[in-house]
Amino acid sequence: MKIALAFAATLLATTITAASAQEPVKIGYAISKTGPFAPAARTQLQTYELWADQVAAAGGIDVGGTKRPVKFISYDDQSDFSKAPAIYEKLITDDKVDLLLAPWGTPFHFSVVGILEKYQFPMVGNSAASVTIRDIKPGNIWFPTSAIPDRLAAELVKFLQAQKANTVAISTLQLPFSLEVKKFLMPALESSGLKVVVNDEYAPDVKDLTATLTKIKQAAPDAVLMLCYPPDGVLYLKGARELGIVSPFQLLLVGPADPFFEKTFGPNLDGIVTMGHWSPFQAKWPKARPFYDAYVKKFNEPPDYLDSALAWMSIEILEQAVKTAGLDKAKIRQAISTETFDTINGPVKFKGVENVITPTMFLQFQKGQAQIVWPASEATAAFEPKPAWTK
Amino acid sequence: MDLSVILSGQLLASVLVLASLYALVAIGLNLVYGTMRLLNVAHGELVMLGGYVAYWGFAQWGISPLISALFAMAVAAAAGALIYIAVIRRLFRSRFQARVEANSLLVFFGISIIVQNVTALAFTANNRGYSYLDDVIAIGDARIAANRLAALAVASVACFACALFFRFARSGMAMRAIIQHREAAALVGIDVDRINLQVFALGFALAALAGALISMTQTISPFMGFPFTVSGFVIIILGGLGNLPGSIFGATILAAVEVYGVTLISPSFRSILVYGVFIAALVLRPQGLLGRPIKAR
Repeated sequence: MKIALAFAATLLATTITAASAQEPVKIGYAISKTGPFAPAARTQLQTYELWADQVAAAGGIDVGGTKRPVKFISYDDQSDFSKAPAIYEKLITDDKVDLLLAPWGTPFHFSVVGILEKYQFPMVGNSAASVTIRDIKPGNIWFPTSAIPDRLAAELVKFLQAQKANTVAISTLQLPFSLEVKKFLMPALESSGLKVVVNDEYAPDVKDLTATLTKIKQAAPDAVLMLCYPPDGVLYLKGARELGIVSPFQLLLVGPADPFFEKTFGPNLDGIVTMGHWSPFQAKWPKARPFYDAYVKKFNEPPDYLDSALAWMSIEILEQAVKTAGLDKAKIRQAISTETFDTINGPVKFKGVENVITPTMFLQFQKGQAQIVWPASEATAAFEPKPAWTK
Repeated sequence: MDLSVILSGQLLASVLVLASLYALVAIGLNLVYGTMRLLNVAHGELVMLGGYVAYWGFAQWGISPLISALFAMAVAAAAGALIYIAVIRRLFRSRFQARVEANSLLVFFGISIIVQNVTALAFTANNRGYSYLDDVIAIGDARIAANRLAALAVASVACFACALFFRFARSGMAMRAIIQHREAAALVGIDVDRINLQVFALGFALAALAGALISMTQTISPFMGFPFTVSGFVIIILGGLGNLPGSIFGATILAAVEVYGVTLISPSFRSILVYGVFIAALVLRPQGLLGRPIKAR
């Protein structure tokens, strides 16, 4: 009896040791923790941190049916997209990571595509969209976003027409994503008969938009389209309120989805339209609300409706692919390219680099919350003309 | 281009606000450079820290940024004095003096990066902003938020006070004397060490004041400082190295180029215009727009 017990105990101990001695799955990424993009990259980084908590609490990640612990290896790319390729190469060759998470923003995704191809290492992208990347048909990166510039431009024009806008003012930040959107937007506007009354561009180091805003104010267009990023979006909101720009349709391309805008501008953010395809208020996506709640609980602020949502989707996709395919690169690539994934943004399926299920949408802030207002099939609220600025 | 856009008071208001803030930044930078030949590339980080003091004061305790600006100035002045006593004075008295002067750009660049990243670690890299005095006031055809008007008023008063100080106060005159000729100033009995200490305190305080005012009008982040350092350098080249009234003049020129230049040409030309003016000044009038050429005697 004693021997049997001892035997059983040893057996038990061995199984426990075997389980806890499971090699951790190494997951690597680089993101802008310092430098000018660090403020914008923060919401994506926080989303990674939230997942790290959840995966640790769940006892690890499911690799082809076995739970394995996760070890993160992360670096700061210092907001320098020329550094990202070297870091990702180091992650692959030196740190020998099993999986990669994406860096922040289109230029950084752009810069690591070559490395992913060189090592045939699959990575689900997130906070990036580019027609140029789609056109070179890489095989190891995918974009869950539905805001790819050409689709975004076409859908935006439809949205404007539905609001019966005739005149449009456009001001564009000179960075790859916003310029790509403009490239597709201008012909789309022209062919649909919308009149562009103001059209200018500005550099990323802009500190004052008064000149542009004064022109917009004078032209009094039906719609103002600021193809901006967060810092210049702030300049727009401050200036537009000061000057009293009253166009019923005012779009800030990238920025308002970051909770910092709501915190800073409060009711003045209401009515602002922005790009985005996720909202916790969409009842047909059952995972949306729990993600929102978990994020709010950990960080005491809402997630970024764009970058946090995309970052979480990219993780969900990777997790589900690894669950069926294990850690073999070719099998993961195969799984991501062919399977349909269940995400906080509903089902996602890729054709080439592109998510072909999620339609392009637009968000509008109403009473401080981001509601999907376009297209009608996905809407969580109806579009409202921009209300008057406070005071 | 519609002429009425250019003539509108809106642009003029923007120029004045930007110029007054730039001037505060540039005077501090110019003082430290003029008296000690130290190129403080970390000057913008003082602006940033001033902004954080005002932000936290308002966000945590609801203190008016105009009041916390005073606090920020006091803290920055104390920090400036401390750094001078603990580091700079020692270095100046050591055999490294020549090397410190020659390498101040690199040293302060390093300090700048450290301060940025320590701030990011301590407060996160988050953009931050708050709304204070944000009623919109109409003056003629210009509409301007009260906080920008307040920033303009305070910054202008501070610049004017500095101008008076340099013109009439004993210490102010001593600072100008040291800027003109350090050795000669020492020979006529000016206590260079004491004045250097005051310069550090004053320069730091002005940067912190600028930061507190800037935080009322735009968002702040740990990385907001460097562009102000760059603008500060362009201004002191325009106005003349060590030329303090020149800094106010240079700030006005730079703000006008930024606002009117982009109105007339295109916002995408901002950097080209700013650096164009900078290079033109360096080539055509290296002594500054207001400076007199130095002749060999």
